[in-house]
Amino acid sequence: MPGPAPAWVAGAVETACNTAFALDPEVRARLGALTGKVIALELLGLGLRLYLFPHAQGVQVLGHYEGEPDTELRGAPLSLLRLGLSDRPADELFAGGVELRGDTATGQAFQDILRALRIDWEELLARITGDDIAHQAGRATRAAREQAHRMGDTLALDLSEYLHEEAGVLVTRPEIESFLDAVDGLRSDADRLAARLRRLEVALAVRR
Amino acid sequence: MTDDKTTHFGFEQVGWDEKARRVGAVFDSVAHKYDIMNDVMSLGIHRLWKRIAIELSGVRTGQRVLDLAGGTGDLAARLARMAGPEGEVVLADINASMLQVGRARLLDQGIAGNVRFVQANAERLPFPDNHFDCITIAFGLRNVTDKDAALASMYRVLKPGGRLLILEFSKPRAPGLAPLYDFYSFKILPLMGKLIANDPASYQYLAESIRMHPDQDRLRAMLEQVGFEDCSYHNLSGGIVALHRGFKY
Repeated sequence: MPGPAPAWVAGAVETACNTAFALDPEVRARLGALTGKVIALELLGLGLRLYLFPHAQGVQVLGHYEGEPDTELRGAPLSLLRLGLSDRPADELFAGGVELRGDTATGQAFQDILRALRIDWEELLARITGDDIAHQAGRATRAAREQAHRMGDTLALDLSEYLHEEAGVLVTRPEIESFLDAVDGLRSDADRLAARLRRLEVALAVRR
Repeated sequence: MTDDKTTHFGFEQVGWDEKARRVGAVFDSVAHKYDIMNDVMSLGIHRLWKRIAIELSGVRTGQRVLDLAGGTGDLAARLARMAGPEGEVVLADINASMLQVGRARLLDQGIAGNVRFVQANAERLPFPDNHFDCITIAFGLRNVTDKDAALASMYRVLKPGGRLLILEFSKPRAPGLAPLYDFYSFKILPLMGKLIANDPASYQYLAESIRMHPDQDRLRAMLEQVGFEDCSYHNLSGGIVALHRGFKY
């Protein structure tokens, strides 16, 4: 059973969460709707238990709470992270990676918030460097991402061509389809032959 | 006769009534820079001390909490979120300047609805008997003239089963810490008060009043004397600050 997180850990988690939430007004509005709820997060493996109190400006995090939380999420840190990030969070729940107890509606709402969290890195950078540099950096990052995407597509195409046509390691889809048709044809022929042989055997047995 | 009684104001002896007036003047003077000074003086550690107090408060949703000498509302803001919309936090302070700063601060943080603001003297709390689930007083008790009366008044307004938490400067217990701490409080602290708040006298008072405050065991005995039970204290940062806790049954 994990113990309460030390006060400084709770403080650090709170600061980190609120820095992220500060950049996303939509997420803050959703957190505001959960005001008055208490969410317990139990990080298995780290032996930590944290209590989250959502409010319209972010979350308050405590390492120790004597009341009963509305919702309890238990899991290894990575499983909890996947629950937050995945498009199909139910998979993580059914796979047993994360255990959800108590008020599931609150748990679901909180999980939706984590998934909706889109951090505006440009805005975050702008606070440190000013708008101009942040905008340039944002453009450069976006250009680099597009370039990487194009390179990735091209590489995938080239690799597939090489494996099929030049190395001959893999067959193409039409080839495999005609091969599978031929196998099916052969199986049918063999079945027909077996049936004909059985008829002949029966006919011979009658004649004797 | 109360007129003849004297008490300490820092290291000075002053009349019983004069202390309240002079403490009031100190806080009128420091109110607007109180939090900045706290951060500078404690190197930000006061936030951790307050966080530990909050965690030990045991406040749950729907409860009624009194934050006494709540000043700029640090504790009240956190307590209000723990008490939730069905609960209530009363932020009380004897000093109108501090209360105004606290109210503005809480409103700016979007905390409203479950917080009330009351200007009140801790020695004579204007609340019914058995009213609060929890009372907190952080860095306020040493400025109260009649501490026994204040503790008795807190005991009266606390519900049976409720608890009192006192966060206050105390006596350093870690070996070798006392001389360093003395040098810091009597030499560096008034200097910082001068540079940051331009008010060395007020910060000298803060340093002196810390020395005159009862130590850990004496304060615990005072709590027991007015009726609190299961009294205990935690030393924080080597005893520079102590968190006392007592229950009413």
